[in-house]
Amino acid sequence: MKKFWLVFAQEYRRHVLRKRFIFALLSMPIFVGLIALVGFLSVRLQYNGAPVGFVDSYNILSNPQPVPTSGSSLLPAANFVKYPDESTAHNDLEANKIQAYFTLSKNYLSSGEVILVKSKTAGSNIEDDFGSFLSYNLLAGKPEAIVHRLTAGSNLIIRSADGTRELAANNWMAIAMPFIAGILFIIAVNISGGYLLQAVVEEKENRTMEIVITSVSPSQLMAGKVFADLLVGLTELVVWILFALLALRFVPQWVAVGQSTQIDLGSILLMAGTFIPAFVMVAAAMGAVGATATEAREAQQIAGLFTLPIVIPFWFVTPIMFDPNGPIALGLSMFPLTAPIALPLRAVFTTVPAWQIAVTISILILLAAFTVWLAGRVFRIGMLRYGKKVSFREAFRPQTSQRSHS
Amino acid sequence: MSSIHVQKITKKFGSQIAVNDVSFDVDGGEIFGLLGPNGAGKTTAIRIILDIFKPDSGSVSILDGPMNEEKKNHIGYLPEERGLYQDIQLERCLVYLATLKGLDTATAQARINVFLERFELEPWRKKKVKELSKGMQQKAQLITTLVHRPEIIVIDEPFSALDPVNTQMVKDLLREQRESGKTIIMCTHQMHQVEELCDRLVLIDKGQTMLYGTLQDVRHQFAKPAVSVSTPDSLPESLPGVDSISSENGDYTLHLLPGMLPQEVLQSLIKTNIQIDKFEISMPTLDEIFIEVVKKQEAVQ
Repeated sequence: MKKFWLVFAQEYRRHVLRKRFIFALLSMPIFVGLIALVGFLSVRLQYNGAPVGFVDSYNILSNPQPVPTSGSSLLPAANFVKYPDESTAHNDLEANKIQAYFTLSKNYLSSGEVILVKSKTAGSNIEDDFGSFLSYNLLAGKPEAIVHRLTAGSNLIIRSADGTRELAANNWMAIAMPFIAGILFIIAVNISGGYLLQAVVEEKENRTMEIVITSVSPSQLMAGKVFADLLVGLTELVVWILFALLALRFVPQWVAVGQSTQIDLGSILLMAGTFIPAFVMVAAAMGAVGATATEAREAQQIAGLFTLPIVIPFWFVTPIMFDPNGPIALGLSMFPLTAPIALPLRAVFTTVPAWQIAVTISILILLAAFTVWLAGRVFRIGMLRYGKKVSFREAFRPQTSQRSHS
Repeated sequence: MSSIHVQKITKKFGSQIAVNDVSFDVDGGEIFGLLGPNGAGKTTAIRIILDIFKPDSGSVSILDGPMNEEKKNHIGYLPEERGLYQDIQLERCLVYLATLKGLDTATAQARINVFLERFELEPWRKKKVKELSKGMQQKAQLITTLVHRPEIIVIDEPFSALDPVNTQMVKDLLREQRESGKTIIMCTHQMHQVEELCDRLVLIDKGQTMLYGTLQDVRHQFAKPAVSVSTPDSLPESLPGVDSISSENGDYTLHLLPGMLPQEVLQSLIKTNIQIDKFEISMPTLDEIFIEVVKKQEAVQ
């Protein structure tokens, strides 16, 4: 057991201290950050915070007030200036004192008709900003609670018919979580599984394997590598989550979303219960492929076959969402290779019977143990074979082992 | 008492027979030569002994029984293809491999320091393994083989990539190990190293045992009826009982007629009154025996 830990520690350090690991670790948050930055810039380019005029000749809004804002905003709402008539507003528009002006028609309350005249540089934010301004002022004088409810909308809670499961419609995080976690899981499996595969192929190519295997049993070696690989994957996930939390902390308008998000412990446990054995299964399979393949490129091609089925549930998101108890959703959530993504996803939209969860996770754990065992065998047969692959028949054939005593 | 007992081991890879019914014993405190041409099955035999491969039939007993995980800590192995982690520092690589052999980190570190000093690798301890020369890597590999003070040492071509100074150092090291009671199996093609170091040997070719015994026995087995004579004088054209005379570098080889004893030839030489600097029974070199055996095997095939 001590040697398992030695292999585990060495393997973990070996991967984590490599430059390419650190690059892979940072590339994800940098990539996401860049996407967010590009998104923000594209909104910022269309934003214009200059004052906007409005003409309310029929006094539909009595004593209009600006919409109160809480805290600072990177893109604050435009300031609205009242004009007595259209010609004054138009003069100011041409003098670039305002970027646009709205004119409320006489029968606005019945028809909702508003005319917008704007300059070429007017921002795309002014229509929404004016909508909020109108709502706020039309509701002036109503009790604050009613104003808040009407502007914030309903908090719709969807409850399953048997009453055992409910989901708030605005709790987008609960729906997005299995998607995000699934994508991160696939990335982590690919990256760290790839490391394991490469490490085994390298050990085989530079012949370190022969030294190591005369010091430690193949099963201990394989288990040490697989669990170190698992920790490498978890390290990646934890670092990425920390980056995400850091981002939420420093982007003020997202804080509210983060605070209102509620992810129940059950979902996290369900994901852990399916992800971890699936990870062990894929990693062990990759290790075995590495031990039997004759070169790294060939190994990587074969390894793709193991990760491909994990992605399949994403192709069937619609049937899983709209018919979470249908045959496709049920099949995908119970098939070991698709379960890690399909089961947590399905659990968002329906109450998955406990026995199905128990059976799926049990199968995954058994299969993970079996894969580690099989990988150990394949590894033993294939580790010192160069130029010849190991067949499935060989892997299952009993190994001759005659022992004698002097 | 045998440290290693190899009994009738056979191993096939597909239709290829790598080792065929090979048996030998390696005694404690000896250097045992495992010889054979390329592809003879030496490495496969070693891998079976080390439990890397399972034999199709036959058995191996090592340190009084089958191999187990605990026994791996008492075996040092230097494979033919050197294997060290290339991307990590030499010291870290050596400490890791030593701890895999059951040493705690502090002991491993202390012993490695001594070896690094002895092998003049001290300045390289913080360098990545891939930055070391072939000869340095060879020495580093030897540290990995010996650092845990194994009872059995299995070394495959220990002198490859070493210059004469380092070759001598490794030879001294192997003799030291033997003197301290360690059992050593040495695979090599360098026959003069075997003659210099090995107590006993086995020669395998095409997976089969061709020769097995002490170095002396094997040489006697292949000794021809001939004597070697060194003299500053000229030898007579013919001598009684001598079939032919050949000379090389001032030494003469006298090929004797069947049934003729070397003592009788010596008496004949004394009678001729020539100065005799050296007279010895002509023994074949291990190189000659090796070539003869392998060629004979090829002819049979």
